[in-house]
Order: sequence, then C-alpha cells, then structure tokens
Amino acid sequence: MSDDAILRAVGVSKRFGAFSAVTDVDYVLREGEVAGIIGPNGAGKSTFFNLMTGLYAPTQGRIEFRGRDVTRLDAHQRVALGIVRTFQLVSVFGSLSVIENLILSVLRFREGAMKPWRFLFAKAHSVEVEDACLAALQRVGIAHLASAPTSTLSYGDKRRLEIAMSLSLNPRVLLLDEPLAGLGDGEITEVLELVREVCKSVTLVIIEHKISRIVDLVGRLSVMCEGRLLADGDPRRVLEDPEVRRVYWGDKAVAAAS
Amino acid sequence: MKPSTLSLLRRADLLVIAAVFLVLGGVLTIQRTTDFVIFCIFVLAYDLLYGYMGRLSFGHMLYLGVGAYAAALSAEHLSGNPLVALLAALLCGALVGLVLGPIIVRTTGACFALINLAFNQVGFFMAVTALSDWTGGEDGMSAFYDPVLGFDFGDPWVVFGFSLICLLAVVYLMKRLIASPFGVLLRSIKENETRVQFLGYDTFRYKLVAFVISTAVAAFAGGLTIINYVFVTPSFIDPGRNVEVIFACLIGGAANIYGALTGGVVFMIISNYLPNYIERWEMFLGLVLLVLVFRFRAGLWRYLAALVARSGAKEVVS
Repeated sequence: MSDDAILRAVGVSKRFGAFSAVTDVDYVLREGEVAGIIGPNGAGKSTFFNLMTGLYAPTQGRIEFRGRDVTRLDAHQRVALGIVRTFQLVSVFGSLSVIENLILSVLRFREGAMKPWRFLFAKAHSVEVEDACLAALQRVGIAHLASAPTSTLSYGDKRRLEIAMSLSLNPRVLLLDEPLAGLGDGEITEVLELVREVCKSVTLVIIEHKISRIVDLVGRLSVMCEGRLLADGDPRRVLEDPEVRRVYWGDKAVAAAS
Repeated sequence: MKPSTLSLLRRADLLVIAAVFLVLGGVLTIQRTTDFVIFCIFVLAYDLLYGYMGRLSFGHMLYLGVGAYAAALSAEHLSGNPLVALLAALLCGALVGLVLGPIIVRTTGACFALINLAFNQVGFFMAVTALSDWTGGEDGMSAFYDPVLGFDFGDPWVVFGFSLICLLAVVYLMKRLIASPFGVLLRSIKENETRVQFLGYDTFRYKLVAFVISTAVAAFAGGLTIINYVFVTPSFIDPGRNVEVIFACLIGGAANIYGALTGGVVFMIISNYLPNYIERWEMFLGLVLLVLVFRFRAGLWRYLAALVARSGAKEVVS
C-alpha cells in the first residue's frame, strides 16, 4: 500500500435489490495519475463513479480519500475535499446563461464568498465574479459564448462548460464519466485535447467506452465487467490480457489472435 | 416606448409600483387596495419557492394563517402595538418554517405539495378546534391596534401606506435575493438539485433558508391582513384557499417579481369584482386559467413585456 494514494476503494460493492451492480472492487488511484476505466455497457463503471463521489452509499466496503474514510460523506462534502466529477449525460443548467452556470462553482471556494450575508445579498453578476467566470470559460475555449443561453450550446460546448465548472472547484481528483460520449469526431479531438491539458495539473480518472480513444492518454487502464474489476495496470499489458480480450472482443478475436 | 425609457422605468420600479397602487387606491376602495397590496406580498413569498426554487406548495395558507393568528394573539396578550404584532407574525412564521422545514424541504414534486397540505390541515384543525380557547374557533377573534407615533392604524389610509411600504421593502428584498448567488443557486436547484450538490453545495441547507424566508414573509403578510381587517377567522388558515396564490403566480407568470405583482393584482380584481356580475365567478377563473395555459404560458407580465419590447423595436426601425 503506497502512501501517495489519493482515492481508494476497499472491497466496495453495490447491490440494487437482487442485482449486484458493483462487486467487491478494490481500486487505488495515485496522486498525479491519469487513469482510464473501460468496460462494456452495464459493466458498473458509472455506478463505481457514483460510489466514489457520494451519489450512492456502497452496500459494502469503504472509500478513502488520502487515507481518510469518506464513505459516509455526502457528495457536497466530498467536493469540498476535492473529489469532483462530470456526468455521462452532460449535466449543465439549460435555463441559466453560460456564465451563470459558472457562478456557483467559481464562488464555492472563493475567499469570503460563502459568508451568508454576501451569498444572499451580494450581486451574483459583479464584475469581479464575471471576470473569474470568463477566465474559467477561457480555459476551455468558450469565452465567446459567455452570455448565450446554455440551451443553445452544441453538445460539445456543453461538455466543455461542464469541465469548466468542475475545474473551477479546484479539484484534487477529477472523475470524467464518458466525456466523449455523444460527441462528433471533431469535437472528440477538441475535448481530448482539453482533457490532455487538464491532466497536467489534476489527478484524473476517465471512463470511456471505446478503448482506442483514450489508450494514448492514460498511464493506467482498468477494465470492468459485470461489476467486477477484471484487469488493472499498464494499458498495453491490460489490453493483451486474454480475459480482457475475451470480454471485449469476444472469444473469436482471441482465437484469431492465437 | 424607447428602450431608454423602459430601462429608466425598470430602475425606478419601486416608484412605479407605488404609483400603480396609489392609482388603484383612488379608483377602488382603499381597504380593498390594501388587501391587494398584502396579497402581493404573499404571492412574492410563494413565488420564491414555487417560481424560483420549483417547489409547489398546497399548504402555504398555514404560514399566512400562523402570522394572522400571531398578530391577533399579540394584540390580545402582548401589546396593542401593530409593529409588535407584525414582529410576532414574522417570528412565528420563521419558527414554523424552521420546525417543519427540515421535514418538508427533503421532498419534491407531489410529495412537497401534499406534505405542506397535510401540515396546513393540522394547523386549520388546531385553529378551529384544538386551540379554540385561544383562537376563538369558528368565530375567530378581533384584534385592535394602538396608534404608533401619531399614526392611527384604524385609519385605512395609514394601513394602506404602511402596507405599501412593506410591499416595497419585500420587493426590494426579493430583488436582492434573486440577483444574488443564492438566487442563482435556487434556480439551479429547480433545474437539477443533484448537480448542485456536485458543485459542493449542501442543497438541504439552502432550501431550508429559502423555505424559512418564504414562510416568514407569508406570515408577515398574514399579520398585515389582520391589521387591515381587525379580526381573524379560520378562513385565513384554510388550506382550500391556497389555490388563490397559485392562480396569482400562474396568471402573472412564475419566477418573476413583476409577474407575481401583476398576478396578485389581476387575481384580486377578478376575485373581488367579478362576483358582483357573475354569480359562479370561479368558473370564469377556470376559463382564465385555460386561456393562460394554452396562450400565455409564461404569464401576463412576460407577455406584456415582450409586447412593449417589440413595439419599441419597431419604433426604432421606423
């Protein structure tokens, strides 16, 4: 057990009635790592994210953040520690303007901004706050859309907006749940480039359905299947694992390769 | 109208609101107009939860009623000072909000609506039966107030002026709240509460704050009502009347301060004057609602504002 573990799952299981979505998963994420989690649909990847970030409580096992047990902490408390996520279906506020989407995340950890009096009565659209929001938008390259209604954005731009919101929360770990899902080819390249930029400063876990898209990006790859962690380690080596090849490409591919 | 005139009106909105109610007061009877003013305060309190936070309550008459009874009981047992009565109403509203809120704000949708209704039923029962020694039961009780600094609260114009100042204060308070990060938070909760939690916010706490502000202001409106009427009856806590404030929000347009005011006034005009002409006036109200739902879904205020903006744009072009 290394001490540079930032996020750790110990024997984590989640059952929904009789269905076991995640079964006895042990997972360690180290500081500065860029890790990928792949697996077929219904493998339990998103459920695993939901357990780590506090959307669900695990049926069994525990979650640790830098050695501290956070299993019982709510989502917002984990965010305060620096565990930040995005959602598989892009999750921004369509009824707000783009810049308003950033106000809450920009203010959350800003000095003095959360004092009750200021939070309830200060202007949300002050120059100071808007500048900070614009800077966050700049970082993901959509500052020109600041005053647009969010509902008019393309899916890719919404994805960038969601990433900007997450980055404004000063994450220690960022969990991206299929950030490339639903994007066009051009958008995929752009968002991947953004993710590559982000992972220089933040420990990152990324769920992806298609291996090829992230295999160059991640320094470590885990494969989930039917709620279990099937393989974990160096991407190239993981992909050569016969068990992984069997679940991912089916028996035929393995037979053909051998 | 030029855009600059519009923006000027917007900046002086408190004056415009005061002027509109003064004109109404001249045209209608003053006591009724005071009723309009007070009802608008109630609509504003309601709209904070319904329009901005997206939580529909079927039991907000409870909080109005708590304020009404608190004001009346304060006159009987504490002091004849109407300001003391209003303070009592405000504090009791906040207290009830603080006690019931932790249970109520956990829920959403139909559950939120009905749990409010359930508490409202309990409150109604307590006012009519269980606490009838205090509240006067079905008969209700009178409440008379002493003059304050030479202002006689028996004079309808004094009550009108005072209520109008209170309304302007509440409008100002709501404007500040809505324009603050808290306002952004409420609108975000309305759309996707889980997402707000993943931005690091303990949504429960903020929902509770919004709820308590709403109940306190609603109770304040209840207290003012009693100062205007000088008596309280169980009709002020009757859950059946909750539909009035919902109608007002829908007519004027929810999640908009001017919409709430427009809705409050239009609803009061309909409910006060239509019965003079049509016996079953509620039927007409139903028709109004149908038209609103199908034709003016965003409410009268937004429709009118869009109309004015469009004609302004045309004038600039021509």
